[in-house]
Order: sequence, then C-alpha cells, then structure tokens
Amino acid sequence: MKNSFIYPIIFMALVTAVFITVLAGLNYVTADTIAFNQQNQLRQKILYIFDMVPDGGTDKDIERVFNENVIEKQWGDLKGYALVEGGQEIGYAVPINGAGLWGSITGYVGLNKDYTEIIGIEFVTQSETPGLGGRISENSYKDQYRGIDISGKTDNFIISSPQPDSNVDAIAGATQTSAAVVKIVNENIKLFFREVE
Amino acid sequence: MTKKEVKKIFIKGIFTDNPVLVQVIGICSALAVTNLMMNSLIMGIALSLVTAFSSLTVSLLKDHTPKHIRMMVQVLIISAYVIMVDIYLKAYMPEMSKALGPYVGLIITNCIIMGRAEGFAQSNPPMPSFFDGLASGLGYTAVLLTISFIREILGFGSIFGISLIPQSITRWTLMVMPPSAFFILACIMWVFNNNRLKKQREGVEKK
Repeated sequence: MKNSFIYPIIFMALVTAVFITVLAGLNYVTADTIAFNQQNQLRQKILYIFDMVPDGGTDKDIERVFNENVIEKQWGDLKGYALVEGGQEIGYAVPINGAGLWGSITGYVGLNKDYTEIIGIEFVTQSETPGLGGRISENSYKDQYRGIDISGKTDNFIISSPQPDSNVDAIAGATQTSAAVVKIVNENIKLFFREVE
Repeated sequence: MTKKEVKKIFIKGIFTDNPVLVQVIGICSALAVTNLMMNSLIMGIALSLVTAFSSLTVSLLKDHTPKHIRMMVQVLIISAYVIMVDIYLKAYMPEMSKALGPYVGLIITNCIIMGRAEGFAQSNPPMPSFFDGLASGLGYTAVLLTISFIREILGFGSIFGISLIPQSITRWTLMVMPPSAFFILACIMWVFNNNRLKKQREGVEKK
C-alpha cells in the first residue's frame, strides 16, 4: 500500500493538515500578545523622546502613560505624535528616515511646541554595526539630543564633533554612521519645517 | 533504553561527534549570532528543542512515511517547529526576538536538524532520536557559548550583559564584527581536532 500512487499524496496532505492546525491554533492564541508587544515598543520609543518613560514601568504602565499624554498627529505626508498637557500640545515627535551605513535608519526626533528646541531622539529601525554604529541606540548617544537650541536656524541644526560649534559628539570608530544620523536629522527637520509653513 | 545508551548518545553529540567542530555543519549561524552570550544561549536552546522534537516526530512517523517523500515530510516537520519557536519568542521574549532577527527563521536551514533527522531519527526508535537531537543541539550550544564568551568579553567587556572590564580599557572592536567569529571558530576547531586526533592515534598504538 505504501508504494501505491495515492498513498504518499494522502499521507502528505494529512501531515500538513495536522501541523497547520497546530500552528494556526498557536498563532491565534498569541496574535494579540504579539500585536501588543509591537505597539508597545513604538509607544515606549515615543515616550522616550518626550522623556516620560515610567521608571521600572511594566507594559501596562507604558500603555497607560502613552494613552493619557500622546496623540497621533499629521503634517501633510508626515505622520508623527504630539505630547498633550492640559489640552495644549507642548511637544512633537517628527518622523525621520534616511540611509545609514548598512541600511536605512528610521525613527523620530522630538521638537518643543514652537520648534525652537530639539528635545530628544529615538530610532525605530537601524542596522548599523553592533557595538560601533549600533551604539546610536544607546542612551549615552541619544541623550545628547536633549535640549538643543535651534531657534533662528534654517539649516545645520545638528553639528557633529569635531567641527566647530558642535552640539553632538560623534561615536568614535563609527564616523560614517554618526555623519549619516546628523544628515538624516538635519534633512528631515528641514523637510518638516517646509511642511508646517 | 538503558542509561548507558543515553550517555553514549550525549557524549557522541557533544564531544566525539560534535556537529560544529567535527562534522562542520551549522556554522553559518554559529558565526552570526555569537556577538553576545545571551543571543547564543537562546539560539542554542531554540535549536536544541527544534532538533530534539523534530527528530522525535520524524522517528514516530518513519514507519508510515513512504521513502521517496521522506525529505518533504522532514522539512515540513522542522519548519513547523521553527515557526512555533519564532511565535513563542515574538510573543513572550520580544527583545530576544529582535536581537536574533532573521536567524530564528533560518534555524530551518540549519544542517544539524536535517542531518540528525536523516542520519539518526530515520532509522532509530523515538526516544533515542529525541536524545540524539538534544545532544547535538547541546554540542552546538556549547561551541556557540565558547565563541560568544571570547567575543563578548573582548568586544563589549561583559559576560551575559554584565560589565566586567572597566570602560577605560579600549574594546577590541574586531571582536564585535562577524569576521572575528571565523578566527575564533577556526582556532577552537584546531585545538579540539588536534586533541581528538592525538587521542585516536594513541588509542591505535595501545591496541
């Protein structure tokens, strides 16, 4: 019977059906958790820009703080977030994207309410060299973007060391990534200003 | 199944027939995920479980599987288990899922699993097959942890993310990049196989 023409087909169909049922069940059970995890990762990143990540907060805390304080906001084609306090928008997270050294870098940069100050930065996707350019995701690099005055400037908002008047230190051993990030931020803020004008 | 047989399977999987060092299979991921010890550990556990359970399943089904479609069945079984691991990591260990990235899905293509399914599970009873898969997975994990130990301590100055070397000591950046895994794996293989062959030769002379 095993060598008949039809047996392998039936056998294969049966085995496939069994495994698909198991996988579909597993997928169904975990789908909500996975979607929640992915949303929460973004929520945490947006809260980080506004420096509002709850200390030692669980996923639920992050969700609550986010829903209480942050709303989605659209400027032309740009989709970002706004920080709301007492019914007033007091800060914005503006999307940024561009080419890094190995792949594209996407993220958000935070601006205060009259766009005169950069209040934070966070990267959503980046594939820079781990331990070198990848360190742009570390707080020691990102914290440099807190409170940078850009009032009156129309270009070169961020200037990376070792240039004069620099306001952000480049990462040693990751010159190209550092330069790429500065370029991405500058270009995207310019784009954003054009959009809101 | 006696204790002695189980012991023999484990010694074979971890030492004398180590999949990475002796059979030189599955080294692609061994090079890719060994920059941090935590990544290596999770990858090792995931691979051990997938190998063990797919060997078990292949062995359970072997009497009913027509010989000429057995490869298809094996690949189906392996990919089903890998997807389970992937879903589990995404749902309950999202950070780890992000760190391992595409390599979880690529466990499917790891030659160790297919090798054990074809080489052992296809012609052995279920329980020995299960242990054989587990042993091979542990052998793989042991090698990965050794490589990542060297890479993490020299490249990041830490072990399992716990910083041990003060920041003032310059990090060896090459260790962070994939090429370093080539050198380290080659050196480990060299030492290991040198010892193994020496022992074999001694054994022959004694006889």
